Amino acid sequence: MMKKNHITELIPEYLDGLLSQSQKEEVRLHLKECESCLKELEEYKTIFNAFEEEKEVIPSEHIKTNFFEQIEIEKQKESKVVPLINRTSNQKKIWLLPIMKIAASILLLIGGYALGNYQQEQKGNHKIAQLQEKTQKIKQTAMLSLIGNKSASKRIQGVNYIDEFSNPDEAIVAALVDRMLYDENTNVRLTAVEALSNFITSEEVKNAFIKALKIEKAPAIQIIIIQVLVKIQEKKAIIPMKKLLEQNETQPFIKEQIKSSIINIV
Amino acid sequence: MNTLTDEDLMQKVSYGDLDMLKVLFERHHKHIFNFLYKMSGDKMLSEDLTQDVFYKVMQYRASYNNGKFVSWLFTIARNSLKTHYTRTKEQHDDIKLEGHQLIEKQSNEQEEYSHLQIALNKLKTSDRELLILNRFQEIKYAELAEIKGSTPGAIKTKVNRALQKLRTIYFENI
Repeated sequence: MMKKNHITELIPEYLDGLLSQSQKEEVRLHLKECESCLKELEEYKTIFNAFEEEKEVIPSEHIKTNFFEQIEIEKQKESKVVPLINRTSNQKKIWLLPIMKIAASILLLIGGYALGNYQQEQKGNHKIAQLQEKTQKIKQTAMLSLIGNKSASKRIQGVNYIDEFSNPDEAIVAALVDRMLYDENTNVRLTAVEALSNFITSEEVKNAFIKALKIEKAPAIQIIIIQVLVKIQEKKAIIPMKKLLEQNETQPFIKEQIKSSIINIV
Repeated sequence: MNTLTDEDLMQKVSYGDLDMLKVLFERHHKHIFNFLYKMSGDKMLSEDLTQDVFYKVMQYRASYNNGKFVSWLFTIARNSLKTHYTRTKEQHDDIKLEGHQLIEKQSNEQEEYSHLQIALNKLKTSDRELLILNRFQEIKYAELAEIKGSTPGAIKTKVNRALQKLRTIYFENI
């Protein structure tokens, strides 16, 4: 028979069972005739067996531990940093140098530390601001609720809370004005007048004082109101003061005070 | 989770689900390690490089193009090894280092190497690589073609030729 067309090229695939039916047949027929190819086949069988018997080496467990740690680190980075892609191949090569890795990790460490510090500081500042705002709010709520209390002493306490505010907002001023004008208790009204006198430059407070001058009956309060208004030379105070002079129930010492003050305003 | 293909898992990773990398690591790190070990004969180096390979998978996850995961993984492994050798070569200024290194080791630690490994080590790197990938890692011609940037037909021919060389070496030294 013809021995020209050796099947050397087909033997590995024949052993792997990758040949088509007709190719298999061809190999089988040839092997019956060809001693050298049969020898080759046996040799391949030996080698393939050797491949299969070659034991798989088990890597040490620490590479898993290490890699899983790296995943966790990456996860944390991920929440802060946008992934860097599209590096040029040149950069890639640079990154593979161990010295660059070390440098990068040191930079990362320092950078991380600095960033952490900065964020902490920012957070700290922010927190303080938030806290200050919060306490301010708490104080305001406390103050307003005290001012609305049934007990006069609590209301006084509430009004005195004004010392806690360097720059009281409208709600507080409105509450104080309300106490100054309408509180049934003289001492509460008195405390409110004293508290508001610190903010007399405000137009709102000024008008409230003028109104208080018209309706206030307690001489102790009247006298403070007059003193505050005269001090700022408030001309709108002249008319209500003149009215007080005309009224019979006005205490003589109040009238005296008004008389001596009016001259100063004009 | 175990029913998901490598490609499904890698897609999840590329979208930011980094925990899926753990599954991929469990599935493939032994293969990668053994490939590197068979190629280099250096256990420590292979462990380091295996870690490195998976680290790169994580780093470059966004560039995963939905191709066959195994091909991508072994491509990265090959490149890691190549880079390592290029670096050592530069450092030692020894052109034929790979071969020398392996043969030296082989005489020092005779008992660790099988007859097959010794024969494989005598092949040139590209042939040895093809056989290790094809016979040990059972990487099919189609994927090998992807890894090597070639066609399945050309790869088949190369694998066959490498096998013939191996056969000659294997039986002349037995």
